[in-house]
Amino acid sequence: MSWDKAAITGVGTSRMGKFPGVTSNQLAKEAFVNALGDAGIPKDEIDGLITMPGTTSPEGAKHYLALGELLGINPRIAWSISMGGATVGTLVTQAALAIEAGMASTVAVVFGDAAKTGGSRFGAAAGDDDSWGIWGMFGNAANSAIAASRHMAVYGTTSEQLGWVGVTMRKHAALNPNAIMREPFTIEDHQNSRMIVDPLHLLDCCLISDGAVAIIVTSPERARDNATHPVRIMGMGQAHSLQKLEKEDWWYMPHQREAIFDAYRMAGVGPTDIDVAQLYDNFTISVLLWLEHAGFVKPGEAGPFVEGGERITLGGELPVNTAGGNLSESYMQGWLHVVEGVRQMRGECGPRQVPGAEVTLVTGRGMTLNTSAALVLGR
Amino acid sequence: MTDLIRPVVTDNNRGFWEGAAAGELRVQRCLACDHLRYPLAPWCPVCLDERWEWQALSGRGTVLSKLVFHQSYHPAWKDRLPYNVVLVQLEEGPRMISNVLPLTGEDFAVGDAVEVAFDPEGEVTIPRFRVAG
Ligand SMILES: [Zn+2]
Repeated sequence: MSWDKAAITGVGTSRMGKFPGVTSNQLAKEAFVNALGDAGIPKDEIDGLITMPGTTSPEGAKHYLALGELLGINPRIAWSISMGGATVGTLVTQAALAIEAGMASTVAVVFGDAAKTGGSRFGAAAGDDDSWGIWGMFGNAANSAIAASRHMAVYGTTSEQLGWVGVTMRKHAALNPNAIMREPFTIEDHQNSRMIVDPLHLLDCCLISDGAVAIIVTSPERARDNATHPVRIMGMGQAHSLQKLEKEDWWYMPHQREAIFDAYRMAGVGPTDIDVAQLYDNFTISVLLWLEHAGFVKPGEAGPFVEGGERITLGGELPVNTAGGNLSESYMQGWLHVVEGVRQMRGECGPRQVPGAEVTLVTGRGMTLNTSAALVLGR
Repeated sequence: MTDLIRPVVTDNNRGFWEGAAAGELRVQRCLACDHLRYPLAPWCPVCLDERWEWQALSGRGTVLSKLVFHQSYHPAWKDRLPYNVVLVQLEEGPRMISNVLPLTGEDFAVGDAVEVAFDPEGEVTIPRFRVAG
C-alpha cells in the first residue's frame, strides 16, 4: 500500500543556461507561470508557497517573503529552507504533509538561481573556527572526491567507471531539447579532461547554471479534477549525517540508504519495482553511491554495474537520469530530477521515455555530504 | 603567500594550536564519557557535557582518502597547486582533514600509515602528516 495522500499536478521550468541581467526571482516567476499552466489552475488556487533560496539570492531564509510579494501570493503556509540537493525532496514532502494535515490545499514549491551569471563556484570550505581551508580543503568537488578516492581504494572502482556515468548522462541529454550540454563525449574525452580534484576530472562534475523550477502539489481529490495526468506521491524519506569527521562512515553517506528505504516502505515497493531512477548527480561518484544505497546493487558493486553504460541507459535494467541530470541537463540542484520523474510517469518524454514506466525513485543529497531525501513517485 | 587562512582562536581550539607549536597533536577529551573529540567544540557531541581537557595523541594514523587539488578555490592556495589533501584516521579514533608533506607529493596511497609532522607556516604551526617509516 502506498501513501498517496498528495499528488504532483504541475511542473514548470524556466529557460536554462546563462542569462546576464536576469534575476533568480525572474527565472522563478517564469517557472511558476509554466507550472500553473501545466497544472491548469489559476494563481489564486495556490495557498502555500515554499521555496529554496538560490545560491545568489540575497534573501536567504526570507526568500519566500520576497518571492511571495513578487508573485502576489498571500498563502496559508510559507517558508524557505536550504538543504542543498536534498531541499527539493524535503520541500515536496513538507507540501504533501501540509496538504494531508489540511493546512493547505495546493502548494507551489519553487527554486530559482542565477548561479552561472552570479559566479557561484561552490568552493566554500567546511569547518568552523578551524576552517578546512587551513589545509586547502575547499568546495563540493573535493567533498565528493573524498568519497570517490575511498570507494576506489576499498572496492576497486575506477575513473573509467565514473566516466561511464558522465558519458551516459550526456547521451540522455542529447535526447532532451531543454538540456544545456547535448554534445556526446567518450570515455577518452572523460579521461583527457583536466583534473579538478583528483580523482575527479572536469567531466565528473555537474554544470553551474541559471534557471528555475516550480512544482505544484495538491490533494488527490483536487488532482482527480485536473486536466493533466496527476503523479502520485507514493513514498517519502529523509535521513541525514549532520556530523562529518565524527562519523566514521560519513564519506559513504549511509544515511542515503535510510532515506530511500523509508520512502520504499511508505510506498510499499522495493528496488525491483523501480522502472526509472532520477539520482542526484552533482558528481559522477554520487550515482554509484545511490545505486548501492537504493539496493540496485550491493555495496561496492556499482562500478562494474555502470561500466559500459548499458544497464543505466534507455533499454537497460535501470535507466538513470533520463533527461541528462545535473551533469548535462542543467544544475538545478536536483529539482529537474523531480520534473523528469513526473514527466516519465506521465509518459511525456518522447525519445527518452521509458516505455510503461509506472514507478520512479527520485533522490537528492546536499551540503558537506550531510543531507538526503528520497521520493517514490508513481503513475 | 597572501591571505593565508588562519584559525579563529577561541577557548575551544587555543590548546590545539599551542600544542602544535610545541610539537604535540592534541584533541579534546570529555571528562564525563572519555570521548576523544575532533573537530574541536565547546561540548561533547556524545553526552553534551561541557567539561573537557586536552589529550595528546600519538600522531600516528592511516590515510582514509587522498585528493590532489588541481583547481584553485582560494588565493592562498593558488600558487601551491597541485597539492594533496587527505582524510586521516588517527590511531586513537578521531579523524582529521590534513595534508601529507610535501604538499605537492602524490607518492602515497589510501591505506598508508602516516605520522604527524608540525609544519611552521608564518606565525602558526600546522599539524600535517608524513608517510611513516
Ligand atoms: Zn562526553
